[in-house]
Amino acid sequence: MSSKEEILGKCRTQQDYPMPRLDDIAAVKYPDPLTQFVAMSAAVGGKVVELQPGKDINHLLRSLFPEAVNIASNLPEISLANRNPDTVGSAAELDGTDLGVVRGEIGVAENGCIWVPQTMKERAVCFISENLVILLPKEAIVNNMHEAMKRIRVGDYGYGCFISGPSTTADIAQVLVMGAQAARSLTVVLLP
Amino acid sequence: MSTQHSKKAAAFLKNQEYTAWHDATFWGVRVGRDNMAMGLEEWEQLRQKASEIKLHTLSHLDKYLEQFAGNAAKNGVKVHWAADADEFNSIVLDILTGSGVKKMVKSKSMLTEECGMNPYLEAHGIEVVETDLGERILQLKGQAPSHIVMPAIHLSHHDVGELFEQKGISEGKGNHDPTYLTYRARLSLRKEFLSAGAGMTGANFGIASTGEIVVCTNEGNADMSTSIPKLQISAIGLEKIIPDYDSLAVFQRMLCRSGTGQPTTSYTSFFRKARCADGEFHIILVDNGRTQWLQNPAHWELLKCIRCGSCMNTCPVYRRSGGYSYSYFIPGPIGINLGMLRSPEEHQGNLSACTLCGSCQCVCPVKIDLADQIYAWRQEWPAAGKKLICSVMNAVYKNEGIYRNFTGIAHLANILPAPWLPFYLRFPRKPFHSLAHDEL
Ligand code: SF4
Repeated sequence: MSSKEEILGKCRTQQDYPMPRLDDIAAVKYPDPLTQFVAMSAAVGGKVVELQPGKDINHLLRSLFPEAVNIASNLPEISLANRNPDTVGSAAELDGTDLGVVRGEIGVAENGCIWVPQTMKERAVCFISENLVILLPKEAIVNNMHEAMKRIRVGDYGYGCFISGPSTTADIAQVLVMGAQAARSLTVVLLP
Repeated sequence: MSTQHSKKAAAFLKNQEYTAWHDATFWGVRVGRDNMAMGLEEWEQLRQKASEIKLHTLSHLDKYLEQFAGNAAKNGVKVHWAADADEFNSIVLDILTGSGVKKMVKSKSMLTEECGMNPYLEAHGIEVVETDLGERILQLKGQAPSHIVMPAIHLSHHDVGELFEQKGISEGKGNHDPTYLTYRARLSLRKEFLSAGAGMTGANFGIASTGEIVVCTNEGNADMSTSIPKLQISAIGLEKIIPDYDSLAVFQRMLCRSGTGQPTTSYTSFFRKARCADGEFHIILVDNGRTQWLQNPAHWELLKCIRCGSCMNTCPVYRRSGGYSYSYFIPGPIGINLGMLRSPEEHQGNLSACTLCGSCQCVCPVKIDLADQIYAWRQEWPAAGKKLICSVMNAVYKNEGIYRNFTGIAHLANILPAPWLPFYLRFPRKPFHSLAHDEL
């Protein structure tokens, strides 16, 4: 008998607990989810800026990251980009990226999470960049994770991630440090 | 055996300053958890739902495992089943040698620790690089984790600073600032990510309805480990399977709030497919005792655990004795219990490391009755000391003459100095932990 059959056989129990209802969870809701999202983003070490209607995103990014040289994005509106995660030869070529720009789909007010499905060939851009910018439509904020989980879709690339703030660690003497192995800063740009 | 926890705890307590720091640090994490819990009116409802989802899933585990494996296979993932640690280790080795991999980066996984995977792979010539900062520090130091979420908590920034100097990770000497050390580790690990042939993750959850692995990290190291190499291996214990995204929402909301007092981890990553057309994604489902534990009528609910770590953070004994005082590789209330499931003979000494205060079961996000379980273990497995007493008592009760003699001298217990008292007369007057310490 293969391990699979053996394991499945041994899993059968006499117990029969029903699956609980989950639609009756009285989950937190906010009078103004956007305000809560901005506050939570700050609490987890992120930064939120708003792109004013009619303004150019590239102009805003340049003012936020005046020193960024290597800028990676596959988004057509990011004319500043000089690296494209869709066309680089390998993920490793994205090392040394100062600024990566990607699109987020859903923001979660309760914890500052942003759903970023993989929409580029090399998802490394989301982690290997020193600074990450996520573009997020202002109206895409939900109250809590229950609402978010109902909406997320993992696309054809087969990967997605909730990102909240920069990469952090407290593994050395419990001191919180931003910038462990992935992005050292996270900026959310709210689109009109 | 029984002496181990109390003896090691006594050694731990010799450094009063450090003990006070350790105690206060974990109490701080516990307070952080309380603030998070009190910030959500639905907290207790979430705990109840989380417990019920786990009870349901575990009682239909065969069905959910098949669903998970079927969906993963549809996603093009190669699913493996490992009955025990040996089978798990050899599956990993086969995958790596099959692809000619010499170096693998990996994110934190207590399961690989449980299976002794790193030493096994290293003995077969494969370099394994831990990429969680705490785990990396321990790997460089040749130590095991002392906490499941904060593995290097027993080291000070000076310990880490000196280690990094020895290993050439820091430049120069004397800079032991955590921010600087973290940055130096980042630079050193970056080289490893770029040069590894495979990336490995553990799993916080397996989603049956989609066949995905979900991993929660703050460092983003699981994502770094799997975004550059073309080969991904994820190891998951059978009990980590949950039905669907709606269930995941419940657990995701509680995992980090309970464990570290944060509203979420920085990264909650969903792995569904191999990274690229010429890449591979292997998921290894590991039993290693779990199906046997599932059949244990008194203790199967321990499998509900989501490894948040909050039971150890709150435990007055853990906080004052540290992770290395326990004989099992997972410390604290859940470790005491899991050690007993694994090998009561080897780990019953840990049963003394509990005051039955019940704090653990008040914070556990999946409502495991940890302290009640420890109490039950004590009845099932009287510690070696008790067994010894029992055998003396048996001999005594079986022989009426000896019994009369003993009862005849029993009153002397009140006037004789302690060391003169027969062992059996002292036993019932002493708390469990000090018996373990002195007598065994
Ligand atoms: S037993 Fe409960 S509190 Fe302890 S680690 Fe597991 S889930 Fe967390």
